[in-house]
Amino acid sequence: MNFMDWYRADRLPTIFCVGCGNGTVINCALTAVSEVGWKREEVVFVSGIGCSSRAPGYIDADSLHTTHGRALAFATGIKLANPDLQLVVFTGDGDLAAIGGNHFIHACRRNVDMTVICMNNQIYGMTGGQGSPTTPRGALSTTTPYGAEEGTFDLTALSIAAGANFAARWTSYHVKELTNAIRAGLETPGFSFIEAAVQCPTGYGRRNRLREPEDMIEFFRTHSMLRQKYDRLLAEGKLVPPDTIVVGEFVRRDRPVLGGKK
Amino acid sequence: MKLVIDPRRCKGCNLCVKVCPYRIFRPGRRPNERGVVVPELDRPERCANCRLRRLYGRTICGVCQLTCPDQAIRWEEEEAYEPRKVAVEY
Repeated sequence: MNFMDWYRADRLPTIFCVGCGNGTVINCALTAVSEVGWKREEVVFVSGIGCSSRAPGYIDADSLHTTHGRALAFATGIKLANPDLQLVVFTGDGDLAAIGGNHFIHACRRNVDMTVICMNNQIYGMTGGQGSPTTPRGALSTTTPYGAEEGTFDLTALSIAAGANFAARWTSYHVKELTNAIRAGLETPGFSFIEAAVQCPTGYGRRNRLREPEDMIEFFRTHSMLRQKYDRLLAEGKLVPPDTIVVGEFVRRDRPVLGGKK
Repeated sequence: MKLVIDPRRCKGCNLCVKVCPYRIFRPGRRPNERGVVVPELDRPERCANCRLRRLYGRTICGVCQLTCPDQAIRWEEEEAYEPRKVAVEY
């Protein structure tokens, strides 16, 4: 079964801007779901509000488009009500890190059996490019016209500290690795968190000298670094560029799971 | 197998031009009726998936299809040795 069979062909093309990376991440997620072999009836796709959260509307399966930031709360309810269902949560960085931050850390703490795919485009894309908790320091947005001065959330590290069973980070350039990571997350019982850095040429790249979609893909290609190499460089005391995106699988462990199959 | 770009879904972001390891896609020249500059195919018979998918029984590369944010790229079945119109130059 190809991932194209999961799409609602009558809803395509998507509403996303030209060159938006959300479609890529949906492709990878659906490829991973079809590789695992789940049927249409046993998967539920949940999302909150945002560009990335429009994803379940294009998928031909049971889905839930919930209030802003509360996707994980709804998903926890689904899992506890019917543990036989498999859950995939699509969420964005503003959805997950800003307004849904508490739901996120508590879902990690409870270790609910679900897979969360966070499409981190480093901006609030849908509302017009406001700065989000993951906007890099110095980046321009409509609410940070002189450069963001606040620190950023490292969502993967946050999920590991809060107790997720699986955490990985890839970008929309690394499609094969992202697919494998999502598949590993789907197969791991417990809370699996996959952060996918995606390009947002309209909201983010346009204001940060990455106007074309290819520019942001090139940025991901040149600025991402494997976790092993990053750790080695840090151990050797060498200098790592501050805008490096550390990619790879961060943790895979076996903590007690809430809502797993009996 | 035959590589096909769906001109009704493509939005012209040219990400396939960027990611294809065989450089099969190249930027289009003129906009179509929807105003989208759809990429062109440059000798698509070089595509590894077109040639080897049937032999291996799985998708070989598929990076362009996975990357395409608008789901516009697909492979179509092609009959072997199907007759094709060829412009013969004398």
